[in-house]
Amino acid sequence: MHTLIGEIIESRTAEFVAEAVRYDQVPAYGSFVRVMDGELRVYGIVSGAYTGSLDGMSKAKAFFKSIDELKMEQPQIFELLRTEFSCVVVGYAQDGRYHPYYPPIHLSLHLPVEKADDDEILTISQHLGFLEKTLNSPAGNGEELTAAAIRMAARFHPDPREYIVRAGRELLKMLNYDTQRLKSILERVDIA
Amino acid sequence: MRGTILRGSLSGGLEVRLDIGENIEEVKVGTFCVVEGRTHDFFSMVVDEDIEAANPKAFYETLSDNSLLNEVVRGTGIIDKVKIQPMIAIRREDGRVQPVKSIPSYLSRVREAREEDVFKIFGRPDRTHFHVGSPLDMDHIPVCIDLKKFIERSNGIFGKSGTGKTFYTRIMLCGMIKSGLCNVLVFDMHSEYGWEGEDEDETRKKAKGLKQLFGSKVAIFTLDPESSRNRGVHPDFVVEIPYRSIEAEDIVMVREELNLNPTALEVIYVLQKHLGQDWLITFLNMDAFAIEEFAERTGAHAGALQALQRKLFKLQKLPFIKENPADDAVERIMQYLDSGMNVVLEFGHQRSMLAYMLVANILTRRIHELYVKRSERALGGMQGNNTPLVIVIEEAHKFLSPELSRQTIFGMIAREMRKYNVTLLVVDQRPSGIDPEVLSQLGTKIVALLTEEKDIESVLCGVNNARMLRNVLASLDTKQQAIIMGHAVPMPVVIKTRTYDETFYKEITRDEDGAFSRGPMAGHKQAFGSPAGNYGVDELPPGKEFEDLMKELYGI
Ligand SMILES: Nc1ncnc2c1ncn2[C@@H]1O[C@H](COP(=O)(O)OP(=O)(O)OP(=O)(O)O)[C@@H](O)[C@H]1O
Ligand SMILES: [Mg+2]
Repeated sequence: MHTLIGEIIESRTAEFVAEAVRYDQVPAYGSFVRVMDGELRVYGIVSGAYTGSLDGMSKAKAFFKSIDELKMEQPQIFELLRTEFSCVVVGYAQDGRYHPYYPPIHLSLHLPVEKADDDEILTISQHLGFLEKTLNSPAGNGEELTAAAIRMAARFHPDPREYIVRAGRELLKMLNYDTQRLKSILERVDIA
Repeated sequence: MRGTILRGSLSGGLEVRLDIGENIEEVKVGTFCVVEGRTHDFFSMVVDEDIEAANPKAFYETLSDNSLLNEVVRGTGIIDKVKIQPMIAIRREDGRVQPVKSIPSYLSRVREAREEDVFKIFGRPDRTHFHVGSPLDMDHIPVCIDLKKFIERSNGIFGKSGTGKTFYTRIMLCGMIKSGLCNVLVFDMHSEYGWEGEDEDETRKKAKGLKQLFGSKVAIFTLDPESSRNRGVHPDFVVEIPYRSIEAEDIVMVREELNLNPTALEVIYVLQKHLGQDWLITFLNMDAFAIEEFAERTGAHAGALQALQRKLFKLQKLPFIKENPADDAVERIMQYLDSGMNVVLEFGHQRSMLAYMLVANILTRRIHELYVKRSERALGGMQGNNTPLVIVIEEAHKFLSPELSRQTIFGMIAREMRKYNVTLLVVDQRPSGIDPEVLSQLGTKIVALLTEEKDIESVLCGVNNARMLRNVLASLDTKQQAIIMGHAVPMPVVIKTRTYDETFYKEITRDEDGAFSRGPMAGHKQAFGSPAGNYGVDELPPGKEFEDLMKELYGI
């Protein structure tokens, strides 16, 4: 069962942008997504989202009403909205093997974007190399994104705390042993 | 303890990064460990420990209230580090033991030593490999001293007061006696080696002496027969020292005890030169007139002579110094030694430094002379008993101080090594008082806790990697821990020494491989009656029967 969540509208080696199926249905920040491209299953992590007018030129306008009132009185304005989300590419699978690095060719446009399955997430997040990609996210929100991704991934591991500690150790090296930055990331990984 | 080699140098030792999850608090300095290099195993000792941060900021920014962060940083950003000193290397391919001439490669694995490693390095206990203790935290695994090598050189046992020197000495004496590789002669200042000694341990209270353990292999000589008898000891021989055997050199040795100044010492040589062998008794018997006359004849200063005489009167107070002793102690000692026995000379109440040094010096000088003659004869192709002799002296710094060690017999023995088959086992709590040159000649050192900087310095003088061993020495337990280094062990090792108790008695008196039947004793085992070990106080001491044997052997 594949849940379609978007379609690629912009693609680079390190990152792609997809338009959400519906303006109000976006995958969670930091969650794992999958794109099937022929033989390859390419995986990404949602690194940001944007909602605006359909034509991209005009701006939405404030009405000062509740959402419910708006839906009743002005349903057409919602038809004009669209949501896009961006994802950083973290790796791909081919012939059942996962590679924690960029696929040889960047993704084609108009490919469907789906949520990644639980066991896929488990596999991808075992390879802590994805932290490097989130940390250096082109959007410039690396620490926030990394924290979100760890939060997301930890849930799929049998011992979330152990996973976070392991990820933290890897991160510390990537951060050149800067404990201050590590601390600011880990503070955003609140595990209950 | 598990980890990997992080960095290091041949000269400065190696740093080991402990694996995540290892507890540095459990790693003791002195631990015997092994580095598994690519082609060699490096047997090493933990010499220091510290905490290092890859980025020093980490020390200050890690907060104790953030347990997650701390768990992450511990072992990655901040690491527990152990410093080790490789002591010996074994090439895995052919098992060849080599001195350390290279260091293990980066990331080599480090682990605690195992039983087979201990055996590989120190050997398994047998007749000449004597079990002295166990490596730290390896309680049941024996570390052995190679006794053959041990007796090849003079050795030392050092440690602060109360650290167990007397007990280590007992243990080593037991090992040597049992091996039959040598004879021992103990100058037993506190009368604790022969029959019985004190044990501070509440339940044991007493420590068995050599005679109780080895029976007919050990003879007890005494300077104070009354004290011996009061302690329930039946001495084999009462030692008396004739005046004529006291030489100028002996007086020089005890000049501090007699409070003699350099002029007095010169006068003594003058006396000996003019009066010959009987100088002392002649001098002590001189009246004022005779002194005047002697001064005139020799040009010596009469006042100095009188002052000296007053001081030497102190010798007359020593009851064991006699004009005409019934028997010659040296001859007796030699007879006993030659028949394969070991001699403990107890001092009883005569335990002043004056008595101890005088007697030890006089006897040792003559015994040494005899051994020298023997070795020369042996060199000349003549057969003879050539069993090495180990002489035990306590308060060794008194005999071997830098001022005295060049002139005295003990300094000579320590320096000449095993040339004449006589070596020393020196026991001392103040090694810094011993001539450094003598210290560096010692083959094997067994060192318990020392806290004085200069004592540590001096026992480590002449030892490879001395700097590294400092920490180890200073952090030994106050009892039953010692570091053994030198000739008789392939590498320095920290041990928990064997406990001197019933178990030890049982093991040491077990006759495993005929070690007890050696030399002239063999045929006479029967004559000595009860086997070693179960000599009760009520039983007849072996002295009686032994005298019969002496008659047989020497016709005396
Ligand atoms: N190997 C051992 N087995 C059993 N007990 C020991 C051993 N080593 C030390 N001890 C304990 O430590 C106490 C002190 O030891 P010991 O008398 O040998 O000290 P020392 O170094 O000779 O002291 P000092 O300098 O005062 O002569 C002993 O009475 C004994 O209880
Ligand atoms: Mg003692």
